[in-house]
Amino acid sequence: MKPLPNLRLSRRSVPQLLIAPGVAFLLFFFVLPILQLLRESWSQPSSRFGLETTLSANPQNYSDAISLAAPLFLRSIAVAGLATAIGLAVGFPMAWWVVRRGGRWKPLLTGLVVTPFFFSYLVRTIAWTTLLADSGPLMQVIRFLSLGHLLNAVGLLEEGRLLNTTTALVAGLTYNYLPFLVLPMIASLGTINPTLLDAAADLGAQTPRIFTKVVFPLALPGLISGGLLTFIPAMGDVVNSQYLGGVNDRMIGSLIADLVLIQQRFTTGAAISILLLLFIALSLWMYRRKFGQASLGGH
Amino acid sequence: MNPFTTRRQALKLLARGAGSATLSPLLGACNPSGRRPAAKTLIISSWPLYIDIDENGSPGTVRRFEDKTGIHVSYREDINDPASFFARIRLPLAMGAQIEQDILVVPNWLASRLIRLGWLEKLPLSSIGNARNLKPWLRHPVWDPSENYSLPWLVGITGIAYNIRETGRELTSVNELFARDLAGRVSFLSEWRDTLGLLMLAEGVDITRPTYADAKPALQRLEQAKTSGLIRAFTGNDYQKDLLVGNLAACVAWAGDVAQLLGENRDLRFVVPSTGGVLTADTMVIPRHSRGRSEAAAWMNFVYEPGNAARIAATTHYISPVEGVAKIFAASPATASLVDDPLMFPTALMNRRLHMLGPFSDPDEEAIERDFARLIAS
Repeated sequence: MKPLPNLRLSRRSVPQLLIAPGVAFLLFFFVLPILQLLRESWSQPSSRFGLETTLSANPQNYSDAISLAAPLFLRSIAVAGLATAIGLAVGFPMAWWVVRRGGRWKPLLTGLVVTPFFFSYLVRTIAWTTLLADSGPLMQVIRFLSLGHLLNAVGLLEEGRLLNTTTALVAGLTYNYLPFLVLPMIASLGTINPTLLDAAADLGAQTPRIFTKVVFPLALPGLISGGLLTFIPAMGDVVNSQYLGGVNDRMIGSLIADLVLIQQRFTTGAAISILLLLFIALSLWMYRRKFGQASLGGH
Repeated sequence: MNPFTTRRQALKLLARGAGSATLSPLLGACNPSGRRPAAKTLIISSWPLYIDIDENGSPGTVRRFEDKTGIHVSYREDINDPASFFARIRLPLAMGAQIEQDILVVPNWLASRLIRLGWLEKLPLSSIGNARNLKPWLRHPVWDPSENYSLPWLVGITGIAYNIRETGRELTSVNELFARDLAGRVSFLSEWRDTLGLLMLAEGVDITRPTYADAKPALQRLEQAKTSGLIRAFTGNDYQKDLLVGNLAACVAWAGDVAQLLGENRDLRFVVPSTGGVLTADTMVIPRHSRGRSEAAAWMNFVYEPGNAARIAATTHYISPVEGVAKIFAASPATASLVDDPLMFPTALMNRRLHMLGPFSDPDEEAIERDFARLIAS
């Protein structure tokens, strides 16, 4: 009788087996779709409405993509950047308050942060159109306080309206992505040992100095993670731009959606998606080189 | 004075008419003896506000059809913009697969495209005896030269809708949509054929034989207006909510929609511009591989009975493609006034102002689609 093979796993193979499902998942649902996207971006459709495409060395899709996307690309960076910055300014005190003052209510308060996710993203955004409508509650307050001319002058209102403006778009993005900002910040601030703050105070540091020299550096990984979790999807957002933004506020995501869903130009849409992906990957790589892995939340 | 009877009024009139012998054809389709067991669900994709619904105890067309035939109907108002709807059905149809719908109510240009692509079934016209009621002027459609694939559902007029309280004045021309005092409170349809058709008429173009060159000035005008902040949005059928709540002062719109919205806002108006309005036919087609062809034929036959067509037209305020509707309206004092509505029964004078956008050549159509999509998406 043959001896049974030794089925005991070596110590080194256990981690590999453990990560295998994750690797398989990423391979099928991330790497393969991106490879397919890459292929499409170097293809030409065989007919206007058919599905067949043929590979081509012609960089036409990329030249189309650049000419179409360049202005929207800059606008998307500006809008998503602004929404992220406002989100950080609003979210940081919120996260700090939950961590430092939440006490036994901290789990509940953290849960409340994600409450908006209980409702559909689309429905929440459409609900905002009622709030921001020309005769909606917010505009009524603005008119009651006679702030219309002032807000128009500083560009927060356009032609006396709030809905379908850049302001509404930025506000919608900030609101919709705020939980993505706050949760990593809560996690990050929660790791700060309170005795460090006491020690800094005992050594004579005033509150602003404690914030800049102790709190902020230790909270930075959370800020960066939250910022990235907001900035990246906000850049490709379609819904806010469609319902809250104006005709001159379309973002890169709207363009891709339009090319793929309306104009049937999947190959050009694929080229823009690849360029967007490269931009984000390159930005992260440069950031990591400058500030190190730890600033991205790693070690 | 507003020429429209509102949706609610129309339903009331017809509900009242239910007791009247003069409107008996309207009830001819009802089967009070009970329902047959449901055999198959007939799935229809159409536009919002495009059929009479159950209201005030009066069953709508869908319910009456179900009662008469026993065929269950899933009537979906899921077409907001035909271009995006086409994008939704394109993938399975291009793959040769079946889509779930048995009937699509799509604009004539889309019907024409689907016919050219071979993505439609021929209508079982031998089972649609009432197709003989089709009005003569719609019997030889340019979008369906073989006359085998489509039957018009309703014919609409594209013109200008406005809220008199918001504009502070009556509007009569397309040029007024570009007025500075309405800046940021005007929308155009993302259905470019309607928007550009209206603007091309304003430029004096013969839109029955259009070219890309004809459409270019209209595109440029829109581009300038968009850049200078005059245009608030490009919309599908969803302009209705903004018009109702006052976000829009004026917009390019479809006549029947505005007539129906009047019940909710009496300040709304619809006008065919002095330079002309665009006539558009929405047609019923059966997508390829539909398993519900006989049920679809039963539906088409049902809605082509003049009595049923009259109910649909009275509610939607669009032009019925069915002969005999005017006679049914005229027979009852309750609905007689509808016959005088030039937007439902265009007079010779109105007819001279209405034009159907002719087909573009394929390259021209593709070029315009690209330019218009770029205008909206950039």
